[in-house]
This record gives sequence, C-alpha cells and structure tokens, in this order.
Amino acid sequence: MKYAFFQGCNIPIRIQQYATSTTAVLQHFGITLEVVPEFNCCGYPARNVDEKAYLLPSVRNLAIAEKRGLDILVICNCCFASLQKAKNVMAKDSVLLAEMNSILAKEDLKYCGTAEVKHYLTVLHEQVGAETIKKKLVKMFTDLKVSVIHGCHILRPREITRFDNSFMPRITEELLLPTGAKSLDWRGKLECCGAALAGINNDLSHKLLKEKINGAQDAGTDFITPICSYCHLQFDTMQINIQKDSPETKLLPVLLFPQLLGLCLGLDEAALGIEQNSTISPEHIDHIKSLLGPPKEEKKKKKAPVAA
Amino acid sequence: MMNFNILLGLALFICLVGLIIRLSIWFSQGTRSPAPEASAATRISAALQGVLGTIFSGRIVRMIKSLFVDLLFQERIFNKNLLRWTAHTLIFFGFILLLLMHAMSPLVSESVFSNYQPTLNPFLFLRNLFGLMVLAGVAIAVYRRLTLKAQRLRSAPSDWAALVFVGVIILSGMLLEGSKMSSYSKYQSMVEEYGSSDEEEAKALEAFWVQENGLVSPNVQLPPAPELVQKGMEVNGTSCIECHASNKTAFAGFAMAKITRPFSALLGDAAAVTMFWYLHILACLAFLAWLPFSKMFHIIAAPLSLIVKRVSGDAIDKPANLLTSRMIGLSACTHCGTCSLECSSNMFYESFGNDFILPSEKVQYLKKIMTGKETDPAVLKKMQEGLYVCTSCDRCTTVCPSGINLKELFVHARYMLLKQGMPEKALLSHFSFPLALAQNFVDDHLQALKKVTDQFKKSFQHLTDIPVPVTIGSGRGFSNTSFRGCYSCQRCTNICPVVRSFDDPVEALGMLPHQIMFSLGIGNVDLAMGSQMIWSCSTCYLCQEHCPNQVELCDIFYTLKNSALNKIEAGANS
Repeated sequence: MKYAFFQGCNIPIRIQQYATSTTAVLQHFGITLEVVPEFNCCGYPARNVDEKAYLLPSVRNLAIAEKRGLDILVICNCCFASLQKAKNVMAKDSVLLAEMNSILAKEDLKYCGTAEVKHYLTVLHEQVGAETIKKKLVKMFTDLKVSVIHGCHILRPREITRFDNSFMPRITEELLLPTGAKSLDWRGKLECCGAALAGINNDLSHKLLKEKINGAQDAGTDFITPICSYCHLQFDTMQINIQKDSPETKLLPVLLFPQLLGLCLGLDEAALGIEQNSTISPEHIDHIKSLLGPPKEEKKKKKAPVAA
Repeated sequence: MMNFNILLGLALFICLVGLIIRLSIWFSQGTRSPAPEASAATRISAALQGVLGTIFSGRIVRMIKSLFVDLLFQERIFNKNLLRWTAHTLIFFGFILLLLMHAMSPLVSESVFSNYQPTLNPFLFLRNLFGLMVLAGVAIAVYRRLTLKAQRLRSAPSDWAALVFVGVIILSGMLLEGSKMSSYSKYQSMVEEYGSSDEEEAKALEAFWVQENGLVSPNVQLPPAPELVQKGMEVNGTSCIECHASNKTAFAGFAMAKITRPFSALLGDAAAVTMFWYLHILACLAFLAWLPFSKMFHIIAAPLSLIVKRVSGDAIDKPANLLTSRMIGLSACTHCGTCSLECSSNMFYESFGNDFILPSEKVQYLKKIMTGKETDPAVLKKMQEGLYVCTSCDRCTTVCPSGINLKELFVHARYMLLKQGMPEKALLSHFSFPLALAQNFVDDHLQALKKVTDQFKKSFQHLTDIPVPVTIGSGRGFSNTSFRGCYSCQRCTNICPVVRSFDDPVEALGMLPHQIMFSLGIGNVDLAMGSQMIWSCSTCYLCQEHCPNQVELCDIFYTLKNSALNKIEAGANS
C-alpha cells in the first residue's frame, strides 16, 4: 500500500524526526510513503486572512494526489483539517469548485474529489490494526506514563475531520495499549496548545501552553506525546523559549507516538530521531530504554487451554 | 583591427566601471535599519579578514571543495533538476572553453598548444562543438522558461535578453565562419599566402575546395569534374592540409554557409564576411559591457555566494560581513525561478495576486529597496505583504542554485519594512507562528503587531462605546447563518479555554462567544467584527463542538476575522 506523503511546511524543516519515524513505522507494516515535491502549503496559515486563499492550496494538493492516483497520508493536524475542509467545501460548493479548477487548469490539474485524506494514526488503527502491531512488537514498556495531547484540528469539528469520537477519542488509546505505555487521563488531553495564537497574542498563547504543561506534570506524566506538529513545536521549541524566563521550572520532555512505537518494534534509532526532540536529554533516552522489557504473553492464550 | 582594439578597450572600460559600481554597492548598501550601520571601510576590512581567515585555516578545505562541487560541477542544480543542470553545464562549459580557446587564443591556446591553429583540428572541430553545446543549453533554457510559465516561473525581459545575447554571440560566430568558408576573396588570400602552384594545379585546388570545403568560386562550374577534384585533393594534401583541415569538420559553420551564401551573393563575399565579423564582435563586446549591469553579473557573485555558504554554513557572526553577504546574495540571483517553483506559498500568489509572494520576484525588488531606489509606498506595501505571506518552510533557501541565504534576507527585509511601513494585516495570521517560534526580531514584531491592532481598534465600534439599549442593526448577508440557532445557553462561553484564562474576560475580550452570536442575531455584524474575542480565539473548536444547536462559532469567527481585515484594509486604502 502506498500513500502520497503530505508533510506540510513545518515537518520537513523543523520536525524531520516526525517524518522519518512515521515512515519507518509504516514501512515496518508494509506501507510506503511517496514524497511528492509538488505539494505546497495546506493553506492553513492564511485562514484568518482569507477563506478562499485558505482552501485553494489544499484543493491543489488534492488534485496532485488524484493525478498520481494516490490517497494522501498526513501527519500534521492542521494540514489534515485543511485538506478535509477543502474536500468538504468542494463537495458542497460547485461554484467555488469551478472557480478553483479554472486556476488549477493553468498547470494542468483538476480536482474531482477522488483522493482520500488519511491521518497516519487512522492508517495504523484501521489498516494495520492493534492486533498486527502487537504481533510485531519485540519489546514493551513495563512502566511508562505518557500524556497524549490530540490537538484540536484532528478532532474538531467532527463533521469535517471525521477522525475519531471528538469527546471520547479511542484511537490513540487503542494504539498505545499494546506498547504497554500508559496513556494518562489528564486535563489537557483534548484541549488547545496555544499555537494558533503564537505571534498574534503571545501572552495568551504561552498561558494556554503553560496550562497544558502544568496539567500533564500534575498528572504525573513522564512524557508529553503531541499528535499535531504545531503542538509538537509548542512543547518542544516554545516551551524552551518560555522557560528562559523562569529557569526553575521543570521541562516536560516530548516523545512522539511513532518514536514510542518504533522503540517497541525494535526499529533503527537513527530513523526514530528521538535525540532530535530538543526537550529530551540523553538521560531521558536512557530512562525510556530502561523501561523496555520483553513483550508480554497474551493472557487469553494461557486461558484458552483451560477453557477447552 | 584598429576598430576592434578601440571597441574592445571601450567594452572593457564599461565593464570595469560596472564592476566597480557593483562592488562598491556590496560594501556600502543595505545598511538600513534595523541592522546596525557599518562603514564601507569596516566592511571591506571585515570581508578581507574573513577571506584571509578562511584561506589560512582548516576551512580552506571547504573552500576548495566548493570550487569543484559547487562551482564546476554545480551540485545544487544537479540534485534538483537534471534538465536544468544539463542546460547550465552546456552553456557554462561551452562558453568558458570558447572564451579560453577561441576568444583569448593569443593569451591561452597559443601558449598552451605549440601547434595551435584555429583552422586545424581538433581546434576547428572543438570550436564548433563548444558553440553547439552553448546553443543546445540556450535551447533547453528557452524551453524551460516557456513550459514552466504555468508553474509560476516568471521571466523578465532581462532573462530573455541574456539568452538572446548568448545565442547571438554563438550564432553570429557560426555565420561568420560559414561566410568565410564560401568567400572567394578569403580563399584567394590564402592561396596567395600559402600556395605556390601553377595554373592547372590552382584550378584543380579550387575545384576541390568548391566540392569539399564549401567555397563559392566564379571560375568553377558546378558540379566540378571528378578528375579535377581528385587532382585538387592531391594539391590540397601537399599545400593546404598542414595548416587547414577540412571545412566539413567545422560542421556548424559548414552548415551555416548555406545561410550566408545569399548574403555573399547580394553584398559581395568580402562585405558579407565583414558584416558577420562586426555582428559577432559587437555582440561579444556588448555582452562584455553589459555583464556587470545585468543578471550575468552572477558569473562573479554566484560563485562567491556559494563559497560563502559552503564555508560559513549560513552562520555569519560579524554584522559587517552579514550586510555584505546579503548584498552579494542579492546580486547572485539569476532569476532562474527555482525558488518560486518550489515555494510553499505559491498558491497564495494565485489568490492574492501579489507578485512579491513569489521569492524570485521579492529578490528582484529587494535589490532596489536595499539600495534605497524603491520608495513608492504602494510598491513597498505590496512587498511587505509578499514578505509576510510566507510559511517559513525555508524551501527557497534550500533549493537556491546560487546558494543565497534567502530566508535571512527575507526575515531581515520583513522587519525592516514593517518598521517603516504601514500596518500589515497578515501579521494577524498563522504566518506569525514560525516567527514567534524563531524569536528573531521579537521587539520589532511586537511593535508591528501593535500598529495593526491599534488600527483595528480605531476601525471598529466597541460595545462600551454604544449607548444602551443596543438596537437591531441592518447587517445582512452574513454567509454563515448557523448563528440563528443560538438560544444563549452560554455553553460556548463556559467551555472556552480563552475565556477562562482571564479574571475579567469581558474587559479582556470585549465580547464573549455567546454575545458575539447575539450581536449577529440582532444584525450588528460590525460590533461582532470589532470584538477582541475573535483575535483571541485559539480556534480549538470546543465551543462549536459543544454547542447543543450546531452553531458554527469557530467558523463564524474565521469569517468575522476575514471581514474585519478586509474592512481595515479598505479603510487604509481610502
């Protein structure tokens, strides 16, 4: 199975480890990601300024995927939501569709709506499945507590993103379960990291971020696991920026989901790029690895002969 | 020859003056705020220190590597696009080799090769081969510019001029060679100088040259008799071949003779040769004089830019050298358009219709702005927007074949313009996110933000300014009508993470989410557009998701933001 890999603008230049670790994990399950150089911005940054300018780039990106006959696989939440939003609007607004197609026609592209947009977690959850993941595990965490922060634009608005139950998401839970890592129930799990306000209202943006950092730390977490690339940058870069003002606060280290899963799958650590997370120290990495043990035998299997 | 020396001297003089002007700009311009000022002397000495510091250190290895990998091999283009690399390599090597072997033969070829004769092989053949290489490269470049137009590759008249110039130089050279081949007077002077044959032999030789070397002779009837040609070949073998190889090996010139023959017939063969000679020489010398004033100056600036990139790795610590490297970078741009083809923001160019969103066009105008030549406020405002509508993906910098640190140039120029210029509405967008992350120009960013938020405050009525009771407004045509479902349960306001961040949310936010819906409900769109709440919205969609009656609050906020920016933009322009 092959997907057109939509990395967006942030990941290739600021979070390469998210792309390499996701590619390595999916590769392990026979899913290849094709890098498409023609993809450009998803349009999200322009949404405050102009709704049409926001939609056009995503329509173009979808048309490029269509032309290649591939569905799109996305990492970043905001890219995901933009692509899904564009699909949704194009399905409803034929006038706008015609207008955008006339722009795309200049470079011999046409949007028909045949390419699907999939988040990498959906692919892992639906196409691979927790059972297959479990079978491929070579290690398992004995005691690791993580706080997942979903990020907003993957969950909401649910009619557009259609990712998971937006009030009680279960995909991340079910994917983390086989790894042995405990996904904590904490206050910020479904809330905003503040990224959308950065550079526009920094005070408020920092306030929202700190609220999440404190919330995760209060819940007793070892690591924060952001799903969205914007959340990642808030926790992995902005956190360090704002910590300069209050050096006494403890850093909350970031561990991305494919990095965590990749360790359990025994993947090449260079591809996982854990040390590229700027909030993670070598001690943290040693600590994570010390928590890895052999994969547990399934209890059901033991019970089965008894029942028989 | 007299004329040639005068023309050459003139061209060299203009070229030299041009070079001095360009170099002086490197060390004197681009010092506008917010960068610190540095005198030309300081900058020249800092640059010299940098160069010497590189030569006499381990970094010389990187410099030498750059010479081969970046300059001769052009690795950056090779990695990006094979067709472009082929075009550049063909033009570059074809042209340089022609320059050394042919144009500068008294200085180069004659001292390197003791047996050098322009009429002997391999030189005769190579001259044609190199010329053909250049022409093939030019053809690919023209093809590329035409076919990539739809992908937003912009071509300026100067881009076409450069291609035409190079093409004319080569073609005129080939025409000159062709006209010489068919010229009877040229032939006669060769025979006079080198031949010592009797009349019969002379006749045979002429027949042979007509048959084999493209000569047009008034004495030889076509086709010449085979026996005569056979005899001529023998004469040619004893008298000519030592100094003149077969014209057929000069394949391009030989082919061109077909084109030049009518000219020779019309003007007389000597006059045609002179005409093509002037065409060739004038094209070459005009190119030389034009070079420093055009994008062809990249021949000097791009190698420097590439070496600086390889040696410094885009980390230049001395402010004086940073200014200079910026200016070198600007003059290293060949307007090849690679940056614009790969630009992540290039679809915003389609939406906003602002050329300056494309990096290649930004660079063109930055040259003017940095040297203080562009002062039209309307152009500067467009430029400011173009600089801001950027996702900071850094692709332009990664792909630039000249190794220009575009990112650094653009970030610097962005805040330079924002400081002097008008409020920039795009600041209130997510384009600001990577800028906040990078923490460059923090104070400048806040000042620019203040300008636009002040304008925002000025442009709208606020709840507190309006005498109570607030009446029903006439605002109609708000596209998203889901607000009509609001029955003021205040679930949105209660769940909002922004509202709960403030002790006095009404004071901080102007209006709360449910109040904004109410305001729309009574037709007062303006009031809704003017509330601080929409700019403090974190776009988390919790309100919209939790609304019991499907009011699309967050989407409505986006629409309000779009309309508000349009309104202040319209106000600023009126």
